Amino acid sequence: MTPTVPEILMGNFLSMIEPPPPEAMGEFLQGRVAVIGMLSMLCAQEAESGIAARVWENGAIRDLLTRYAPTYGPTFATAAAGQDTDFTLTALDAANAALRRALITLHIAAEQARDAALDDEIRQLFVKMAQARRLDLPALPAG
Amino acid sequence: MTLSDRLEAYLTRLWGEPARVIDLSRIPGGASRETYRFDVEVGGGRKALILRRDPAGSLIDTDRRLEFLAFRSFHGTGLPVPEAVALEEEGAELERPFFIMGRIDGGKAASPFSTPPYGEHAARIGQQFFSHLGTIAAADPASLPIAQVAQAPALDACWKRELDYWEGVIEADELHPQPIVRAAIRRLRASPPPPARRISVVHGDYRTGNFLHDGEGRIIALLDWEMAHLGDPLEDLGWAIAPLWSYGETDRVSGMLPRAEAIAIWERVSGQTLDAAAFAWWELFASVKGQAIWTSAAKEFRDGGLKDPVLAISGWYTARREDLILADKLAALESLA
Repeated sequence: MTPTVPEILMGNFLSMIEPPPPEAMGEFLQGRVAVIGMLSMLCAQEAESGIAARVWENGAIRDLLTRYAPTYGPTFATAAAGQDTDFTLTALDAANAALRRALITLHIAAEQARDAALDDEIRQLFVKMAQARRLDLPALPAG
Repeated sequence: MTLSDRLEAYLTRLWGEPARVIDLSRIPGGASRETYRFDVEVGGGRKALILRRDPAGSLIDTDRRLEFLAFRSFHGTGLPVPEAVALEEEGAELERPFFIMGRIDGGKAASPFSTPPYGEHAARIGQQFFSHLGTIAAADPASLPIAQVAQAPALDACWKRELDYWEGVIEADELHPQPIVRAAIRRLRASPPPPARRISVVHGDYRTGNFLHDGEGRIIALLDWEMAHLGDPLEDLGWAIAPLWSYGETDRVSGMLPRAEAIAIWERVSGQTLDAAAFAWWELFASVKGQAIWTSAAKEFRDGGLKDPVLAISGWYTARREDLILADKLAALESLA
């Protein structure tokens, strides 16, 4: 997923290390620091749950592709083959990208076949995928 | 030379007399353009102005002439829209394209990330917010300056032009496959809306956070016209009441009014009756457009050397919120026949 946690944290560093021009001090700098703080807090959430979310999502997509390969073709079984053994975010994201591409292809095939049951199942999977990756901001006071 | 020096040189040349820039200060937000407030002394008087300059990298790629002419279209018409003062598409002394507009002081913009910000004034602000949107929808675009550069689509082509554009943005900028928004795009294409009932000016980003209010219940400036175009006015209404801008509330839209009341105000002022099927299409489209913008932000964040935290939060946190909204909307759709 993009941006990645390493990119965001590196960005937080890079955006603070250069002295801002005089016209970007004051209110602008204060707002920028607040957003950097928000990003750091969200990175903490991603550090806590990001790997579990990816492992779960990859498994759920593999399961779906495997179950529907007999109906929609062996390429989906091929796409689902294997399992996650490298649990770095980078490796999990790489596997996830391939699995998501196969999921998109399967969904299109289901729509073309007017396969309501599979379409329903995929749409329910989307809800779970989005929930698994959700990030939460605390209620911030209005300025 | 500092930016202030260069701006001073430009204004002195523009007005043909010495201009002195005072208190140039960048304002937070405005991810699509760098935004600065400043005063200028010229001819014995003092003007309060805003500079909007193209950034090196941007949340969205927009035409500053369109934005400039959108301000010019609605300033002085009864809507609280600042005056457009000067446009330089080649950048002139400031090196990047920019325009200058009048500044309206004494207002504040609500962050979409804060708690519902309008307090006891929510309903009053909501009435103005949706009334002003109805006024924009009712205006005849052919009579306005924006018609000089904005092309009017055919009534039955509004939806396709917008969907093609924003799908193209996703195609160009996507860095990780997004099955949820892709499914939404296919649903939209499979069930296009009926033709627009009229062509209107579409603000393009009409939402909470993009106007100033005085803290006592009065909207004093409608801002951020950078995505203005001509099209189906339902596009703006769908964007304005999108869940992303509702502070997690389900009983009020934009943290202001119950949905039915907001729509009723818009209908009364715009003179249009809402077509439920058409509006359902534009509501789903709003989340597709949103996800395209957040996708673009993620790419710009990376391409720009990771230095803009606003692009990071848009391309990451906001994108994930939009996925939640899109997934819920897709799950609520009828099954395939």
